[in-house]
Amino acid sequence: MSQYYIGILVLICINLIAVLGLSLMTGFTGLFNFGQAGFLAVGAYTATILTTKYAVPFPLALLAGMLVSVLTSFLIGYPTLRLKGDYFAIATLGFSEVVRLLVENLEKLTGGSRGIPRIPLYTTLPVALVATVLALWLVANYVRSRHGRNCVAVREDELAAESIGINSFRYKQISFAINAALAGLSGGLLAHYIGFIQPSMFGIIKSTELIVMVIFGGMHSLTGAVFAAVVLTSMPELLRAAQAWRLVAYGVLVVVIMVVRPEGLMGSWEFTPANLKALFNKQGG
Amino acid sequence: MSTVLQQIINGVSIGSVYALIAVGYSLVYSILKFSNFAHGGVLMLGSYFGFFALTLFGMPFWAALPLAIIGAGLLGVLNERLAYRPIRIRNSPLLYLMISSLGASIFLENFTIVTIGPNFRTYPEVFAISPFMIGDLSIGRLDIIIFVIAAISVALLTWIIYGTRMGNAIRATSYNMRVASLMGINPDMVVAFVFFLAGASAGLGGVLFGIKYTVWPQMGILTLKAFIAAVVGGLGSLPGAVLGAMVLGVTETFAAAFVSSAFRDLFSYALMIIIIIVRPGGLLGTITGEKA
Amino acid sequence: MPLLEIQNLTKNFGGVTAVDDFSHQLETGGLYAIIGPNGAGKTTIFNLITGIYEPTEGEISFDGDTITSLRTHQIAAKGIARTFQNIRLFSDFSVLDNVRTACHRYASYSVWEGLLPTPRRGREEKDLAERSWRLLKLVNLDDRASELSKNLPYGHQRRLEIARALAQEPKLLLLDEPAAGMNPDETVQLMEFIEQIHETFDLTILLIEHHMEVVMGLADNIVVIDFGRTIAQGTPEQVQSNPVVIEAYLGTEEEE
Repeated sequence: MSQYYIGILVLICINLIAVLGLSLMTGFTGLFNFGQAGFLAVGAYTATILTTKYAVPFPLALLAGMLVSVLTSFLIGYPTLRLKGDYFAIATLGFSEVVRLLVENLEKLTGGSRGIPRIPLYTTLPVALVATVLALWLVANYVRSRHGRNCVAVREDELAAESIGINSFRYKQISFAINAALAGLSGGLLAHYIGFIQPSMFGIIKSTELIVMVIFGGMHSLTGAVFAAVVLTSMPELLRAAQAWRLVAYGVLVVVIMVVRPEGLMGSWEFTPANLKALFNKQGG
Repeated sequence: MSTVLQQIINGVSIGSVYALIAVGYSLVYSILKFSNFAHGGVLMLGSYFGFFALTLFGMPFWAALPLAIIGAGLLGVLNERLAYRPIRIRNSPLLYLMISSLGASIFLENFTIVTIGPNFRTYPEVFAISPFMIGDLSIGRLDIIIFVIAAISVALLTWIIYGTRMGNAIRATSYNMRVASLMGINPDMVVAFVFFLAGASAGLGGVLFGIKYTVWPQMGILTLKAFIAAVVGGLGSLPGAVLGAMVLGVTETFAAAFVSSAFRDLFSYALMIIIIIVRPGGLLGTITGEKA
Repeated sequence: MPLLEIQNLTKNFGGVTAVDDFSHQLETGGLYAIIGPNGAGKTTIFNLITGIYEPTEGEISFDGDTITSLRTHQIAAKGIARTFQNIRLFSDFSVLDNVRTACHRYASYSVWEGLLPTPRRGREEKDLAERSWRLLKLVNLDDRASELSKNLPYGHQRRLEIARALAQEPKLLLLDEPAAGMNPDETVQLMEFIEQIHETFDLTILLIEHHMEVVMGLADNIVVIDFGRTIAQGTPEQVQSNPVVIEAYLGTEEEE
């Protein structure tokens, strides 16, 4: 396989990991996160600083990035998770802006707006694939567990969920943390794939791309998240010429989805043996 | 002392711009109960309307300003028609409106980048920038003008909302849309009018901001400040939006001047977090819990 | 010792007093009702008991413990379950999953085991599924187990909401206008259902109702409230013949 296609595959993996986290947090738990890029940045910069300045082994650096990202989620989650939907969404937007601000201004640590160059290219295709499969397995397990059901209950009707004994605040924290871990992982992998990082890579555009993937694929479906990550990562790459209009198209896409088919492509459908059987039976019978 | 006064004036000036934007945002929130992310796009395009009216068409300021305001207002109405009304009439969850507004905002911002271009633009010098002198205190003329225009506009808006029949209709609809429609109020008309007002005030805010600072496609991010202002003052409350905006404007200006200008936005967010923790309803607001 | 004890409960919202010095005691095993005109404060009392609102004044204790300042999920864990006036099911879940989610406290596997399955998780999940099926059979909803709850007819949705509450194996069940939106036939069926579960599950039930026939035939003890205050209390016969009650509430009903 040529380098070019390998590259697209790695990018799909990196995006998918972040999108899985977002799917769990935003799709399944109903917490709208418009600041995913902020967590990617935290993971990317932590891992990068450790590998470039302190020669920490890659796996440890990635784990550290994930850990810092999770701690950050607890820190900003504490005041903001009690907020209503749109308050929280805007708070996450604010968070990712603050991260960008800090990165740009703490020059000695982060290289400021010029960023950090010459990052060792540790993210190979096998690494990315393993990480992705692991992430997918973990999230799919979680969603099918009683904890996953509790998250969906919180999303569907928080009051009713509390009334059956679900500590909604704690479950929101957990989803936020799992998302932060995955985003941190994604960021660390990204940094060591591209070879350099700059704050401009972790702005609103990045957050937007990721949230659009979740919306497009269907907020209640992991299968949809996978599908959207694959399609919306590879297509812009393959259609390089129309790059400038990509985000314009995204904007229109989101509005159209909300007006025409708000449940996204997959709705709540998952790629499970039972569902596949039902699908084929319908078509055959 | 003069620096302190200067900063207060700066703060009040930017605060009044924030107030204009926050009031429009709060208006839409109080009627439709969702955060309109595309508010920023309207603000940005209003600023561009004014800019091009002045530069491309060489109009005088007193003609360009109303053009920008009305243009932005109409854009707001169009935005509602296309991106929100189809969702609203189906009684879909509020979440869908918010997501759609996100899409609209992405569209507006990037469409502008692709068509008009990503560069920062500077408004031509509309007002003489020589400062007023009181004793040996120099007060920015532009700041005063901005404050006055914004104050008059907010007063006008307040009069419309509290002193006219349409305003009554708006307030009735904000309490209960269905009941209001049963009393003969056409909700679509009210919604359209509200979006016109919101767009118009956003556009005006954009023009004023453009005059003092600059115009660029991502300036919609200012709505984030408007949101902070609304939260600080009390979401859904118009006087709250104004108060919150002033508090925000002065706080961040002081923080920027006396602590660190690079981290000015950090102080804005910190202010919001503090209010959320200490007084979640905002300075003027009352939290109404969800009715079980 | 009474199961639930409410003492001098008061709730002010800004200038409005929704609940005014309300006191009540529920003995274990009884079937109680609170009735009153719309806006009298009935649902507010439920919300205060379940921790959705914090009282301005007063104390609530349940099974000997003070629960006044506990959060909703903690109160639920203590053994109080409720239904809502506007049915609040998890609409995107199947009938089975609505009930199964409510059983969550009967499993104890951790979040980590949620990410990485263990044998214990497998066993506990199996147990949850069994519990859920048993409950669905008891309430005659097992034939619709895999249907989405939002697709059920209204009467069935109400029954499911009650089943979900029962899944918590509560000591006290709060029913908020369970017959709301039902025609007379459905109402009768529902009342028989409530009577049935009262006996089968050894529950204490407190219900808010507006439909007079419902309450009269079912409850041992009725409290009548208006403007947040208790205006009468007693057996159905006592309440029915109380002139204050007739004036405030029953009288208007009869005129209709």
